[in-house]
Amino acid sequence: MNKAAKEKTINLLFILPAVALFSIFSLYPIIRTVQLSFYKWDGIATTMQFVGLLQYKDIIFHNPAFWKSMANAAYVTTLALTFQNGLALLLALLVSREIRGENIYRTIFFLPPVLSGIVVGLIWKWIYDGNYGILNHFLTGVGLSHFTNFAWLAEIKTSLTAVAVVHMWKGFGYGFIILLAGLQTIPKELYEAAKVDGADSWQQFKHITVPSMIPVFTVVAILTILGSMQIFDLLYSMTQGGPAGHTHVPITRIYQFMGNGEFGYSTAMSVIFGCLLLAVSFIQIEVSRRMNK
Amino acid sequence: MLRIVRLLIACALLVPFTSCSQNISRKADVVIWHWMTDRQAAFEKIAAQYEKETKVSVLFETYAPSEVYRDKVRAAATGKLLPEIFSTLGDKREVSSFINAGYIADLSADMQTGWKSHLFDKPLSQNTFPEGNEWKVKPGIYGVPIDVSAIMIYYNKDLFKQAGLDPKNPPQTWEAFLEAGRKLRAAGIQPFASGFSEGWLIGVFANSYAWNMLGEQGILDTIKGTIKYTDLRWLKVYQVFADMAKHDMFASGIATMVNKDAERTFATGKAAMALNGSWGVNVYFSMNPNLNYGVMMPPKMSLGEYPMRIFGGEGSSLNVNATSPNKDKAIAFLKWMTAKEQQIQLAQETKNIPSNQEAAGGLSDILKIFAQNIKNTFESLPVSESWQVNNVINTDMQAIIIGEKTIDQAAAEIQAEKMRQSGAK
Repeated sequence: MNKAAKEKTINLLFILPAVALFSIFSLYPIIRTVQLSFYKWDGIATTMQFVGLLQYKDIIFHNPAFWKSMANAAYVTTLALTFQNGLALLLALLVSREIRGENIYRTIFFLPPVLSGIVVGLIWKWIYDGNYGILNHFLTGVGLSHFTNFAWLAEIKTSLTAVAVVHMWKGFGYGFIILLAGLQTIPKELYEAAKVDGADSWQQFKHITVPSMIPVFTVVAILTILGSMQIFDLLYSMTQGGPAGHTHVPITRIYQFMGNGEFGYSTAMSVIFGCLLLAVSFIQIEVSRRMNK
Repeated sequence: MLRIVRLLIACALLVPFTSCSQNISRKADVVIWHWMTDRQAAFEKIAAQYEKETKVSVLFETYAPSEVYRDKVRAAATGKLLPEIFSTLGDKREVSSFINAGYIADLSADMQTGWKSHLFDKPLSQNTFPEGNEWKVKPGIYGVPIDVSAIMIYYNKDLFKQAGLDPKNPPQTWEAFLEAGRKLRAAGIQPFASGFSEGWLIGVFANSYAWNMLGEQGILDTIKGTIKYTDLRWLKVYQVFADMAKHDMFASGIATMVNKDAERTFATGKAAMALNGSWGVNVYFSMNPNLNYGVMMPPKMSLGEYPMRIFGGEGSSLNVNATSPNKDKAIAFLKWMTAKEQQIQLAQETKNIPSNQEAAGGLSDILKIFAQNIKNTFESLPVSESWQVNNVINTDMQAIIIGEKTIDQAAAEIQAEKMRQSGAK
């Protein structure tokens, strides 16, 4: 065996486990999901009925509940993109100023994201509870007696926002860490030069920080969009899609159909949802690329 | 050389996948998957006794919550990894899929040997597929009930007394029920809690009134499509929720309340009444052993032409894996488990109603009321409504509770879904 072939073999050896794992646990499920979406199958029967694009047609034109759930996910995503990332950026800017105990803040802010979604959901469900909730106890304590038995998760006006607040609380730590890492890569000389030229803090932020951070903002935005659109565990443990379906998101709908033996239909929903997420991510990358030019 | 290396890597990657298949059922002679976490200790005791008597090892494995269990069973079925005994935890349509795919054994022949005569008829009929059933299942008995349950309204006697109500005479009519709610609310007590976030419980309550207003034939005609969900009798069913909402009977957050929360709300005296199953006796005992309560039938509507019915019959049923080499051992164990002595033991330890009629003698007063009302549970129907229609009913009843929809709007939506599903078929 010559040297080049030997090197090629060794290289192959290194990537083979990763390729194998990726193929088994990612590629194959994706291909199988797309394949199943063309069949009517209850997940148990040994035979499947080929229905072509019929299920796609039904979802797109005759399933308003699915699109309503998409709108709910978009609402949560919009809140997360603005408030969650806004808070993450603010905290990252504060911590990047070489303050004392920087690592302690990092750890504290990164704690919520590493907690289990179901556990966080159940804890917050208790906080919001109309009968026992500490939130109502506090509000009543400060004189807002209207909230004595207010069920935050069972009211149409508050349920989705209440879940979104928890989602943002749980998620801002990711953005914080990434943004902080991004801020620390900006050369200090740029700020020093700007100061010499008489730029104030706002001008430094606008003309140095923001342009330098656009690639990082893109990553954070994409992760936020993907994470928020796919919200499931929090919602499932807090409202199960209620009241009256007002907090359903695409994943809970997909899960609902799958749980009721509509495997083919739910995989078609998954494919549509996956394609939409891909499209949003590509648009985001393209916009950021143009802004970066 | 390169080929040998590639071959070795491929073999190494395949080893874990080949070695894990088919091993799952060999942990014991009979492996049973179940979701009843509160009964694991009692089950283990029973299994140990059986092994001592017969030398056949039995292993109970718990997977919870029930949705996770259900998903696991489905996945195991498609992977041909089902244990000897399991339950689908689904409705008849789902069970029929398992049977038609060959995963569930027909126990009719074994039942004819005297086994059947010891068990309550109702839960057995729910495990039976009659001739000409809509799911095209070969007629037969496909499951073994291990206990019996019914869903009724629990009421807190102390809170009733506090509100000036007679705890010995709970409300029998719909009007008296609403009046009781008014008195409870006036005394600062939340009248009614239940896990209405879980679609099935709100559906159970609605169904009780559907049986009351339409009777069996009316329900069958609705499923067939000859009676519409906008029919006046159905409007009366939806009116139940509107009336209760109007009289402020629901506990805070009932529309997103899971049953575990509702059980806690009732057990801690935060609500005076709760719609719950007979398993609640065990749950309330574990939450508050001093809770002073009674049970009552959901009160009949004055316009209801038919007897009031409640959800119930089979509590938990188990199925035998038709493809297991230890199928006979599994059936033998289930026969032994549903025999009088074992059923008495399980009933005492788990505070449930046994499926063996001969073991129902020593029940507590509350469980006796449940057992007496097994005869009033819904009849097993040869057809079922689509899950999508049921889902719209459940969701729209929540919408009525929170004041989002009127009963006419809900009726129109349910009928529209019915038409949609009829067209889809």
